[in-house]
Amino acid sequence: MRNVAIVAAGITKFGVREASWKDLVQEAGKAVFDDCPNLDRKDIDSLFVGAAQPERWVYQTHVAPLVAELLGIDVRRVIARTEIACASGQAAIRYAWLSIATGLSDVALVLGVEKMNTKFMPLSQTCMVNVGNREFDGPNGFTAPPFFAMVAQRHMHNYGTTKEQLALVRVKNAKYGAMNPYAQFQKEVSVEKVLGSRMISPPLTLLDCSAMTDGAAAVILASEEKAKELTDTPVWILGGAQSVLHSHTVNQFGELSEWLGLRKAAKEFYSLTGLSPDKIDFAEVHDCFTISEIIEYEELGFCKKGEGGKFIEEGDSYIGGKIAVNPGGGLLSNGHPLGATGIRQAWEVVMQFRGEVPKDRYVDGAKVAMTHNLSGMAQLHHIMGYSTEKPKEIKFGR
Amino acid sequence: MRTIKLPDSVELPTLLDPFDQQEPSGPDATGIYDFYRNLAEGDLTTTKCKDCGKLNFPPVIVCPNCLSDNLEWVRIPEVGELYAFSVMALGVPAIIDGYAPFVVAIARFGNYPDEGIQISGIIFDSKYEELKIGDKVKWEIVEIQGPGEKKRYWYCFRKI
Repeated sequence: MRNVAIVAAGITKFGVREASWKDLVQEAGKAVFDDCPNLDRKDIDSLFVGAAQPERWVYQTHVAPLVAELLGIDVRRVIARTEIACASGQAAIRYAWLSIATGLSDVALVLGVEKMNTKFMPLSQTCMVNVGNREFDGPNGFTAPPFFAMVAQRHMHNYGTTKEQLALVRVKNAKYGAMNPYAQFQKEVSVEKVLGSRMISPPLTLLDCSAMTDGAAAVILASEEKAKELTDTPVWILGGAQSVLHSHTVNQFGELSEWLGLRKAAKEFYSLTGLSPDKIDFAEVHDCFTISEIIEYEELGFCKKGEGGKFIEEGDSYIGGKIAVNPGGGLLSNGHPLGATGIRQAWEVVMQFRGEVPKDRYVDGAKVAMTHNLSGMAQLHHIMGYSTEKPKEIKFGR
Repeated sequence: MRTIKLPDSVELPTLLDPFDQQEPSGPDATGIYDFYRNLAEGDLTTTKCKDCGKLNFPPVIVCPNCLSDNLEWVRIPEVGELYAFSVMALGVPAIIDGYAPFVVAIARFGNYPDEGIQISGIIFDSKYEELKIGDKVKWEIVEIQGPGEKKRYWYCFRKI
């Protein structure tokens, strides 16, 4: 297996954009190529496109070749589009990594994009129902907000987590988001403001939720040999894990406050990479809702099960705390264009390692980072590890 | 100049109609059609594996637990327990948008997870504030009318 590095990263402004899906692809594509002046586009042999529902939101299918056309790329090794709902982006990075590590590809463009704000929002919202089991949970209106609201209700019921603790997650991520010029929301908020914002699905208010967002992000991955030619600041991939526990419909989930799939993915990730939470300088995790981040602290092993609320209350997930979580502002500030989110997380890692972020959200001296991206009703989890230092060996399995 | 005339209106797109599997002669004919027929006759049912004994939900034609296709239809116990609930107010699927806001819940029927199921459902007749975890609920059948003359069936929960 070969070492693989991210050699360039680019992003668009996230938000409700007056830009088409194709505009977003071109913006992110131009940004990533501008970030890699030593690269001849002819060297790109593979293309991976993370896109969750272009068929429904912009009525376009066969999107990977369209991205190749829009960015003037000729692919000769691997071209693929990944769809795993909210985790489509990190999946694209994972498969590009595998392709290069095994020697099939040398240089790959990985681009994630979603255009979620459309002329007919009831249709856009209905597309979100179809992430769940369409004919069984769909007719009951089972979209993400009520599902994660019930997750929060169960976590409060089982562990005594409070609405104030949920709100504190937003307060932290809004603080860092306010320093991220690409984020959809760039305003700091108070606990009172979160608690007093419009109720969406109790106990979750508007500010407990991430948004429907338009945006795109891209990274270029290269083999060790190629990476040396392309950049002085490679971001090495340490490894990753994915999990899903034969679970899609509510019936298979079991207890909502226990994310057994994430627990399993974390165990696998730490075992494969040799990492442990104390060796990770910061984590970009999937805070689609405030409760998600609290459970992620627990299942990723940052704190004991049930103590996620206390973890944020004591400031342990701030920069300078036990482990900095979402110094980029998370999904709560950035918004959540499904196919782009996992790649936006990788973009943040690259910018942090290079020190190209504002001082007050810079994790000074960070060498090891983790990204976590989930999908659907938290059935599926991806974790990847990144470092400024080249790993001695890459383990795909034991 | 040549003109092209578009239709004045288009039918409800399938995307917005989660009940379309209920029409067995259509393109979405399904091996679990008995589920819908039983709903129309007043019963909420699902499949149970006759080999490994696993109760499946949603119903299936092959048991995901042991891959047997030796399945039988069983009635879901009528009374269950409220496990979790919230409210659907914004971003409601287009077809049921007119009912919002409503309570959406998960209830457990039978002895979950070994010999029971947990399923989602709407509670139309209780407010969020009137409910608590552990409340007894029962399922009941809902008639879905329209578009046009169509009649189809679903279920919801009611607090008892």
